[in-house]
Amino acid sequence: MFKFFSFSNIYSLIQKLINFINSIFFLILIIGLTFALILSPPDYIQGDSVRIMYVHVPAAWLGLACFALITLLSILNFIFKIKNFYFINKSIAPIGLLFTCLAIITGSLWGQPTWGTWWAWDARLTSMFLLMLFYVFYILVFKLLHKEELIVKVSSIIAIIGSINIPIIKYSVEWWATLHQPASIKIVGSSTIHSAMLLPLLVMLLVFLLYGALIFLMKYKTEIIRIKKKNIKRI
Amino acid sequence: MITKFIAMNGYGLYVWLSFGIVLISCTVFYLKTKKTLRKYENEFLVELQNLSVEEKNKTLKNSKVAQQILATNSKMN
Repeated sequence: MFKFFSFSNIYSLIQKLINFINSIFFLILIIGLTFALILSPPDYIQGDSVRIMYVHVPAAWLGLACFALITLLSILNFIFKIKNFYFINKSIAPIGLLFTCLAIITGSLWGQPTWGTWWAWDARLTSMFLLMLFYVFYILVFKLLHKEELIVKVSSIIAIIGSINIPIIKYSVEWWATLHQPASIKIVGSSTIHSAMLLPLLVMLLVFLLYGALIFLMKYKTEIIRIKKKNIKRI
Repeated sequence: MITKFIAMNGYGLYVWLSFGIVLISCTVFYLKTKKTLRKYENEFLVELQNLSVEEKNKTLKNSKVAQQILATNSKMN
């Protein structure tokens, strides 16, 4: 069982997964863009500006999901000292930062025609900005510190403190009066989004997921090579 | 019709800018990640070449990762 999770086996699997994602990615991207830009209807209030949702929402969801995963793996690594989680977290963090930045930028571009302002320090926007800062601090730990044990401790602390922000982001639109609209898609309860918009959103979410997975696999592969290079004489 | 599609009823600037920023930043990030991966693969191969023949054979025999990096590099060349 544990032999399966050796770097050699993981490395082979990574290559297969990268090839698989590369083979389907562009097809799904074209389908997603066709739905998002051409086939989906404009909103009856927001008009065509609603199309920004197809890049804004998946980026925001994945930005949050990446940080939640980092927190979970940080806690597990802190308790069980599983070295693999350290490399997984190191590989996920830049993707999470990219998605969070994209969610903030596209949100701002959506805000201008909808609210009449690029930015407002309201609860949802501020908590997303804080998430971006937590990502920056988290990544800086890997860049600035050199002792692995210290990196694990400091990065885990940042992830755990930052995780307090996750439910704040999720419920900010319900707890406070914000410019941001409440969630249209609910895991529990009925969603208020029409299927003509939900389908393109799900396809674009798949595009973002595949892209995130591709970058993660490439970064994780780089980490494995870096370790193997460091220990080449011990192989 | 194309002009109407590009204009998006007056929201074209915001919509195209959003999609453009996402596409460009994702492409740049992908290329940067790929470049770093290639750099480490090449550095690994240089380290491998610097080993003695005996050490090199031993490494290639014991490490699937080394074998695969070498195979990938041969394919690319």
